[in-house]
Amino acid sequence: MKMKKFIAVLAAASMVATMAVGCGGGEDTSAEGTDAAATEEGGEAASGDWDAANMITVVSREEGSGTRGAFTELFGVVDDEDNDMTTLDAQVTNSTSVMMTTVSENEYAIGYISLGSLDESLVKAVKIDGAEATAENIENGSYKVSRPFNVAVKPDSTNEVAKDFMAFIMSTEGQEVVSGEGYIPVADVEAYAGSAPEGSCVVGGSSSVSPLMEKLIEAYAAVNPNASIELQTSDSTTGMTSAIEGSYDIGMASRELKDEEAAELEGTVIATDGIAVIVNQGNPTDDLSADQVKSIYLGDVTTWDAL
Amino acid sequence: MNNHREMANKTSIGDKLRTYLKHPGSFITMLLVMLAAVITFAVLIFLIAYILVNGVPHIKPSLFSLEYSSENASVVPAFVNTIAMTLLSLIIAVPFGIFSAIFLVEYAKRGNKFVEVIRLTTETLSGIPSIVYGLFGMLFFVNALGWGFSLLAGAFTIAIMILPLIMRTTEEALKAVPDSYREGSFGLGAGKLRTVFRIVLPSAIPGVLAGVILAIGRIVGETAALMYTSGTVAQIPDSIMGSGRTLALHMYVLSSEGLYMDQAYATAVILLVLVVGINALSSVIARKLTKA
Amino acid sequence: MRSKAWTEKFMQGVFFVAACASILAVALICVFLFANGIPAMREIGFIKFLTGEIWRPNSEQFGILPMIVGSLYVTAGAIIFGVPIGILTSVFMAMYCPKQIYKPLKAATELLAGIPSVIYGFFGLVVVVPLIREFGTTLYKAGLVKSPGNGNSILTASLILGMMILPTIIGTTESAMRAVPAHYYEGSLALGATKERSIFRVIIPAAKSGVIAGIVLGIGRAIGETMAVIMIVGNQARLTGSILDGIRTLTGNIVIEMGYATGLHREALIATGVVLFVFILIINFSVALLKRGADHE
Repeated sequence: MKMKKFIAVLAAASMVATMAVGCGGGEDTSAEGTDAAATEEGGEAASGDWDAANMITVVSREEGSGTRGAFTELFGVVDDEDNDMTTLDAQVTNSTSVMMTTVSENEYAIGYISLGSLDESLVKAVKIDGAEATAENIENGSYKVSRPFNVAVKPDSTNEVAKDFMAFIMSTEGQEVVSGEGYIPVADVEAYAGSAPEGSCVVGGSSSVSPLMEKLIEAYAAVNPNASIELQTSDSTTGMTSAIEGSYDIGMASRELKDEEAAELEGTVIATDGIAVIVNQGNPTDDLSADQVKSIYLGDVTTWDAL
Repeated sequence: MNNHREMANKTSIGDKLRTYLKHPGSFITMLLVMLAAVITFAVLIFLIAYILVNGVPHIKPSLFSLEYSSENASVVPAFVNTIAMTLLSLIIAVPFGIFSAIFLVEYAKRGNKFVEVIRLTTETLSGIPSIVYGLFGMLFFVNALGWGFSLLAGAFTIAIMILPLIMRTTEEALKAVPDSYREGSFGLGAGKLRTVFRIVLPSAIPGVLAGVILAIGRIVGETAALMYTSGTVAQIPDSIMGSGRTLALHMYVLSSEGLYMDQAYATAVILLVLVVGINALSSVIARKLTKA
Repeated sequence: MRSKAWTEKFMQGVFFVAACASILAVALICVFLFANGIPAMREIGFIKFLTGEIWRPNSEQFGILPMIVGSLYVTAGAIIFGVPIGILTSVFMAMYCPKQIYKPLKAATELLAGIPSVIYGFFGLVVVVPLIREFGTTLYKAGLVKSPGNGNSILTASLILGMMILPTIIGTTESAMRAVPAHYYEGSLALGATKERSIFRVIIPAAKSGVIAGIVLGIGRAIGETMAVIMIVGNQARLTGSILDGIRTLTGNIVIEMGYATGLHREALIATGVVLFVFILIINFSVALLKRGADHE
């Protein structure tokens, strides 16, 4: 009796396996194609599977995101009244890692991410108007796509730890951490001369600022072991509203403060973050002009060979 | 083609297969059942293998440091928080779920309008997306009740979320207990309450447990509802009024900026191990309870 | 004796109160959602909000028709993939599965329920999306579809969601089938029906309410799922006719933009939540009606 069942299962399993192998075969060839194209980096007309007649997969961040705001503004992906005109056919994601994974899995995709999160083993950052996306180029102004990291506190806050921590971030020591993590530090800072008060405070908000803030908190713990700082990772708006309501002592935002937020909070730019335009490693394109990026994101150009 | 070969194979095996020849409909149904099972388990094994392949190579001793730091991305605090969160929300939701199921099955009259309202509300609850629970939890427990980002606020939010699961499964389990059990108990002179707790509920325990296990699965896998309620601090809080993130949330935060993908997969492996552990533990408990 | 009667009454009260908890919860959530969402809808205009095809919050255009359609597509897809396979698998688990492999298989389905959505999302992104892209390109080259799509599509999301609702459906359906008294099945066999006929004509109808409960829970999970869906569905807020194209769902709209939204944009997102909520109410009402119709038969 049982034998029969096993044979039935086996037969079905082999059927599924055959199907899986069939699909797998197709995938393998495309993977080889990717490799071939990748090794031929820089070549104008790449061979292998790369077919420039294919549609560009445009990947964008969500409306309201600090990254998207800075990107559309700086590349001019806007209409006459400064409204965001990113093509509606663009894929949207709210996560840097999804953006990176999508671009690394799809040869014809283009996207943009924070320079601090860029992983060159997965994707390729293209030069914009000949300038590479590096911290130096942003500082000297040749690479223009960047956005501020803001933190905000209530002006009447009485939390000593929060004040001292802010002083630390805006000191030489704090800004060293900023540049060490690949972000662009704020100029004109002095050495930390805080009082190292005892107590606790809550910092929370944008998940883009969070990795940097984590490092800052660890560096601060070394100079002031008396204080304990909690880090809440959520998003820019939650960061600002919670700072207004008082559940966070310091809010973080990876965008400019909105007027209604600026009315209640005191914002400080603690660092600048570059935005890298990324493509698949199998894509032979190394250099794009700002106008090309603009027309891709407006939806005027939909295939790679039309650029 | 395939079908023919299989039929041929089978006739040589057994008696029962002759029945299948007489009833090709039944044979096809049987094949479909087998195919569905194979698809389900093939997908499952593939998914688990995917997690293990990506995660296991990145499990390092530093992942188990007692304190979290940006260098080690330790899972220990999140692990402790996950267990605390699971226990807390089950403590809140299980009694409510079981009691309301008892009310619906044992006390309410059949066809009662009130019962229909309750059924409709529980089904509504089970359909509300977790992000809406998260927003509600933030406005109600975190802000209106002033609990702040805390394990307690998270546990209450999650408890509402899993309530329908526990209610539905308990209800089904209670309904499946034959009426003869109840009649027998009444016949021996036991009161209603005694009958429910001594006779009906014990025989329904496996069903209740199926619900609890599904609920645990949802608790440990939940991110959206907890992000806005229990907060995302990567340490073990001093009390249930403190904020702390569970493993799934820990994973989400690690993966969201793409900086800690390896650690995120490693965390997923640990999460799997935890789920296996909790499920094994609950079946042991179930065996103890049904024996007693 | 009197104290016993009192305990009975008291516990009945306790059960009643517990049963009211879910009503209270729904009422609270309703109040919160409607209070926050209705004013925004009024400001935008109900009709404009529900039937508008363009969603550009930065230029104050709030139309959620694409998202409504998106949620419908994706949920329907999940049901098409998930429900038949889920029910057939529970038949296998309850009636066919050899004893030796039952335990590991059962443990495995329970494990599936505990895997966080984010993992399903990455799995979909790395494994399923490229397959669907390949599939789309093949169809495109064969001239069967107008656009090849890029893998992040309605089809992909349906597949992954179908996977995600499996444990819910299998768990409830299997326990409902096991709860059917053994003599139903034995009686049917004794009357000469085949095993399959007995299962599908006797056991499943007897376990109907549990099976429906499982499907409803599964649908709920599919509509409400966000974290995995937003990673694989493309999230384009526009209408489309092809299942190889991406679309945005109602939940996705909320999760993706809530993080940065302020003012009317934020309220419009909560209003999206209201629409979703009404949606779920409608589904539950129709299931309740269907069930009542079936009961009267």
